[in-house]
Amino acid sequence: MSRKKTPKSKGASAPAASVLPAANGSRPARPGIARPGPQVRPDGPPQLGRPSLGSGDFYDVAFKVMLVGDSGVGKTCLLVRFKDGAFLAGTFISTVGIDFRNKVLDVDGMKVKLQIWDTAGQERFRSVTHAYYRDAHALLLLYDVTNKASFDNIQAWLTEIQEYAQHDVVLMLLGNKVDSAQERAVKREDGEKLAKEYGLPFMETSAKTGLNVDLAFTAIAKELKQRSTKAPSEPRFRLHDYVKREGRGASCCTP
Amino acid sequence: MESAGSARDRVPRIDPYGFERPEDFDYAAYEEFFSTYLVILTRRAIKWSKLLKGSSRARRSGTVKRYIRKGVPLEHRACVWMGVSGAQAQMDRNPGYYHRLLQGEQNDRLAEAIRTDMNRTFPDNIKFRKSADPCLQKTLYNVLLAYGRHNQGVGYCQGMNFIAGYLILVTKSEEESFWLLDALVGRILPDYYSPAMLGLKTDQEVLGELVRTKLPAVAALMDGHGVLWTLVVSRWFICLFVDILPVETVLRIWDCLFNEGSKIIFRVALTLIKQHQAFILEATSVADICERFKEITRGSFVTECHTFMQKIFTEPGSLSMATIIRLRESCRARLQAQG
Repeated sequence: MSRKKTPKSKGASAPAASVLPAANGSRPARPGIARPGPQVRPDGPPQLGRPSLGSGDFYDVAFKVMLVGDSGVGKTCLLVRFKDGAFLAGTFISTVGIDFRNKVLDVDGMKVKLQIWDTAGQERFRSVTHAYYRDAHALLLLYDVTNKASFDNIQAWLTEIQEYAQHDVVLMLLGNKVDSAQERAVKREDGEKLAKEYGLPFMETSAKTGLNVDLAFTAIAKELKQRSTKAPSEPRFRLHDYVKREGRGASCCTP
Repeated sequence: MESAGSARDRVPRIDPYGFERPEDFDYAAYEEFFSTYLVILTRRAIKWSKLLKGSSRARRSGTVKRYIRKGVPLEHRACVWMGVSGAQAQMDRNPGYYHRLLQGEQNDRLAEAIRTDMNRTFPDNIKFRKSADPCLQKTLYNVLLAYGRHNQGVGYCQGMNFIAGYLILVTKSEEESFWLLDALVGRILPDYYSPAMLGLKTDQEVLGELVRTKLPAVAALMDGHGVLWTLVVSRWFICLFVDILPVETVLRIWDCLFNEGSKIIFRVALTLIKQHQAFILEATSVADICERFKEITRGSFVTECHTFMQKIFTEPGSLSMATIIRLRESCRARLQAQG
């Protein structure tokens, strides 16, 4: 594979930039703890990785993705569905502050690591979390199709994103919880219309059934990978078209 | 190891507070710790019974402070927390107030915000399950709703659900939980939960300054990687270590928090960081730092709550309230200047 970019020097302030993963040290580290690997640089372009000694986090390129949206729209569940392929039915707690998980994806033969940041949705936490927007390469903005208020707040979230995120951040709108067909309060067309208005790729998802969850993250990974490594001869990846073509409607599963 | 296999059979799957032990719970280590701790608990229970004999209230004093640092027995915990925090006095001064709050005017946004977190508060606790009878979700909802109406400047902030949940498990009383929540949110913690969260942000910076003075290598690591303290410690402050440290350890911390105030949070944080300084300093990236700050809240060092509580008063060294007040002033001013 061709790599066009090489990581810039991290500068003297980051002393450990070229150190190999440290051995588990003086304390009783549990087995299975994540080994330090090459990292996403804050405020910089995505970093091309080095193969690390651990087998778990071997990757070629890494990006930072953030999940945002109102409290209770299913951000943590979406992330866990993608990360572990499971649905957290009544076994998860409200996210307070900010947290993250990593997952390495195979995108057209390249290992792409997504570092996915999960944030508290409650409005007052925005002043704590928006400091992290500027480091994000992509944002997944969620609402809950069974909660009209979470949809009405999307504009406020977009304003927030415009103010704090990078201007070229990859952004996608997701209407989650489409498995709850009975309780639906936001029509698919309304989501599509809003997405179109702001020029955003859009999909409806279900963390419960898994509908379109992997697709959403894969689409983001493809777009980011292409942006960082595309050779001039390669055909351009079109996120909008990809999502439109690959996304499955929820209507097929409902009467 | 034979004892490892049998410890799993002897130690109940559900702890005394109703929490299911996690899959990877180390039963053998816990049993070994608990056999020693049980002796301490028994000795403390006798001492406390004598101390409280003839008086139904705990008042703050040198003896009480010493006793509290060594742990309040569960049967006296509610009474001691109520006494030393001033919650009991507030409750006595305002008879019927809590119930009037519950009958107060509907505020849909407040109710909705609280309801969103009901199924997301302690799903691992059998008493908070929807199927439990009585189900503590309703109790929790009432306490949070009443508090949001009582302190409208704060309303409801995520994190308060976990705190109120613990208060309910300890006091088994809705009204006492309400007044203890008021003692914490309204008096002991400086403005952590109001919409601007200025007190929270300030205290995170204060911790940063304390680390800079006491553990400069860790401060340099954080600066070098551009890690803001809020990333690694916001949950420590907002949830007062609930769901971060083991239940028994959290309750021992709260014993001191109710009696000595918010300074205790810094003592706990500094002790965790100092104890694991070498481990933290091995971190090579932002993600690695975050991971290590999670890792240091697990294991025998924090499970062995009695030793841990002794350490928080020795390890960080002197920590006067005057220092904290001074740092809070300068950090708050800096934050306000940043907008």
